[in-house]
Amino acid sequence: MIRIDCPSCGGRDEVEFAYRGDATVVRPAGDAGEEAFHDFVYRRANPRGWHVEWWYHQAGCRQFLKVVRHTMTHEVHAVARAGDRVEVPAAEHTGVPAAEHKGVPAA
Amino acid sequence: MSVSDVVKADHLTPGAYGAVGGDPVRIARVTCDVVQVMARKGRAADVAAALLASHEVVLPGPGAAAEGRGMTALWVQPEGWFVVAPRAGDGVLAGALKASCGDAGSVVDQSHGRSVIRISGSRAAWVLAKSCRVDLHPSVFGPGRVASTQLFHLGVTLRQVDAVPSYDLMVFSTFVTSFIEALCQAAEETGYVVA
Repeated sequence: MIRIDCPSCGGRDEVEFAYRGDATVVRPAGDAGEEAFHDFVYRRANPRGWHVEWWYHQAGCRQFLKVVRHTMTHEVHAVARAGDRVEVPAAEHTGVPAAEHKGVPAA
Repeated sequence: MSVSDVVKADHLTPGAYGAVGGDPVRIARVTCDVVQVMARKGRAADVAAALLASHEVVLPGPGAAAEGRGMTALWVQPEGWFVVAPRAGDGVLAGALKASCGDAGSVVDQSHGRSVIRISGSRAAWVLAKSCRVDLHPSVFGPGRVASTQLFHLGVTLRQVDAVPSYDLMVFSTFVTSFIEALCQAAEETGYVVA
């Protein structure tokens, strides 16, 4: 069970939220080409370690939240509103090199 | 008598049910108008000023309710509130709020879409705790507090009304029969009185 500290509602259980995917992907420019859009839509890093994710508080304030979650331990490091920046702990804490868990997968 | 005999369609049959000899909770429907008010982008201050002028209410922040003239405003989401008032007829409350907000906010009458159930008594929090994930202990929750959460797998806007304690539970009207049945089952242990 993950507890997510919603900026509006306070600490709530995971069941009140819906996982809405990777919050680190950035939409490419309109003329970036088919391959860039393929990667944007389908390719995810699947990191072991800290990850920034969208969680939708569907049973509470109905807001999209940015959650920094550790994919191995489920520890939640930070929760922020959708438009806010979040701090991601240094990769050393997880034993996973930064390039490995932040970058797009190698071709 | 089973719970389905207590709950006919969407109304409660008066009587005393469940365990006897204890301290029963009271369960009742609250007849009220419910209107959703949401500020348009960047207009939250205008909505707050308008409702302060028209209904003498200071719109509450997260997790709180505030009393105004003949109504109560409940925070439900950033820049969004439910306004609850005693039943006054179709569109009366919504019309007044719409006239007050003008183009600063969206006003939607939800009186048909939401139903309010009140549970009160010294063991009300005990009954709710069987399903509620929000801590209702008096040290962290009290009169005037609001939480949007889930009870019995249904979305509910929970408001503590007084220190008895009494709680108003607002659910989608289409789920209210199922919700009351679940609530009554949870209250079998303490016993419950339907007024």
